[in-house]
Amino acid sequence: MQQPPAPTQQAPSAPGAQPPPPAPAEQIQDAIDEATSGDRVIDTDRGKSHGLDKCPRCGSSDVHYRIESRALVCDYCRNEWNEDNAEKAFHLDTPIQELRGDHVASGAQDVQAGDSMVTIKCQGCGAEIVVKSDETLQARCHWCRQVLSINHQIPNGAVPDAVLPFTLTREQAVEQIKKFVDSRRTFANRTFVKEFVPDNVKGVYMPYMVVDGNLHTDLRGTGEITTRTYTVQRRVGKDQTVSERYWDASVHELGRSFDVLVNDLTAGSSRQYDRTDSSAATNYILDAVQPYDTREALVFNPNYLSRFTSERRDLDIDDLDERVEDKFLTIAREKARPTIAQYDRGVRWEREGVAIRGTRWITMYVPVWLYSYYQQTSKGSYVHYIAVNGRTGKTMGSVPVSHPRIFSLACAGGAVATAAAAVVGWGVFLTQGF
Amino acid sequence: MDTILAAQVLLADGGSSEGGLFALALPFVVGPAVFGAIYGGIYRYYRNKDKRFGFERETDIQVGNLQAFDHHVGDKNRQRSATMSGANQDDPLQRVGRLEVR
Ligand SMILES: [Zn+2]
Ligand SMILES: [Zn+2]
Repeated sequence: MQQPPAPTQQAPSAPGAQPPPPAPAEQIQDAIDEATSGDRVIDTDRGKSHGLDKCPRCGSSDVHYRIESRALVCDYCRNEWNEDNAEKAFHLDTPIQELRGDHVASGAQDVQAGDSMVTIKCQGCGAEIVVKSDETLQARCHWCRQVLSINHQIPNGAVPDAVLPFTLTREQAVEQIKKFVDSRRTFANRTFVKEFVPDNVKGVYMPYMVVDGNLHTDLRGTGEITTRTYTVQRRVGKDQTVSERYWDASVHELGRSFDVLVNDLTAGSSRQYDRTDSSAATNYILDAVQPYDTREALVFNPNYLSRFTSERRDLDIDDLDERVEDKFLTIAREKARPTIAQYDRGVRWEREGVAIRGTRWITMYVPVWLYSYYQQTSKGSYVHYIAVNGRTGKTMGSVPVSHPRIFSLACAGGAVATAAAAVVGWGVFLTQGF
Repeated sequence: MDTILAAQVLLADGGSSEGGLFALALPFVVGPAVFGAIYGGIYRYYRNKDKRFGFERETDIQVGNLQAFDHHVGDKNRQRSATMSGANQDDPLQRVGRLEVR
């Protein structure tokens, strides 16, 4: 029996089975998209329409995330609840070794430039409210005062797939920042010391891409193993010799090839906070407070953001994939280390490569308590961050220094060392002679 | 940093000959080295520019299906150093030539 070619890519059906029902237009479009871009989309949209996002118990729209409860709280009836775990809800926990091709969550698709205005029809009173979606995902209805939310994904980078809510309170973060600066006061810039107010800390959600990778890597290089160590006496003067140490080595060409399964590798996806750019701010600080327990992330709901600020994602997968590939190579090199222990003189890796069998990309907001200090310099201003991981409390920062203060101590230390070395040197000179 | 490097070079050379003369130069090497170490150490402690997330160690990663080859290709005798030149096994961030893998 000859079957007409199936419009969508499907597993071959068993003989005698019913022919598959004709696919709806939307599915065909999905299949075409899939065939042209090569990406498979993981739908993470909650499927709700824009507007009220109510408390499930009393129907109030006044909802915010309360850190102490680690839950969304209804301001009206005090009901507490959370969204589902994102990994489970989106089936992101399937084995990574089975990943083939690129799977991209719907919130991780390319950011579209253009109109960011979203008109929401209030389900309370019927009024139409315009929300600037690149600034906020929530607004209050002018008429009935209910909170309206952007409830499904818009391709402006502001709506991620998942969110990791704060668990560290503002007070705990202030304490961490104070401790960090207290141990760095002596040589700090004097203006900074005067102006430092740890309470000026902001709760910020930073956009990250979280990537799973099913990889195969191949490394080639040269390694050396010591075969003999010996000392040779060398004559330098009439009756003076020096002993010199020598090493004999055997040289090997080596190759290592293995499979690598990477779970939840993170890549910052905001241009302004890009780790590699520290020309205007100490962006490396934000990188250094990782890791985040990304497995605990929840399905995104804009109520998690109220009373916090959030940074919009403006880097796409295309902007990040080279960087992610570099990270895969770094991982490969790191993981090859235990296999080359016999090369005690070291290994010089000369060629490296990675085949990417499958990837999975989702976007996630992660929580940071961020203190920013704007240092006025001759070239303008430079931002020093002190960041506290909103989940673990891990703290890192940059404190502007007072160069004159470091200079004086270094001079004093250098002078003492010079004097001590002079005494020692003179002693050696006298005993060794000319 | 340069001063520390210079000091190391001089100290390494100093062992072989001209011990007496080197001893006289000692203060001019040790002084700047200590100056540089103090300056660099404090600056690093305050600014933390060297800090980064060690993703290659801290990410959840599984490896398997290892295939390895090791071919003896020769010997190098009378080497002056305990480590080979260009060793980079401890520097996974450094990229080397690319290999096509399938
Ligand atoms: Zn309620
Ligand atoms: Zn209304």
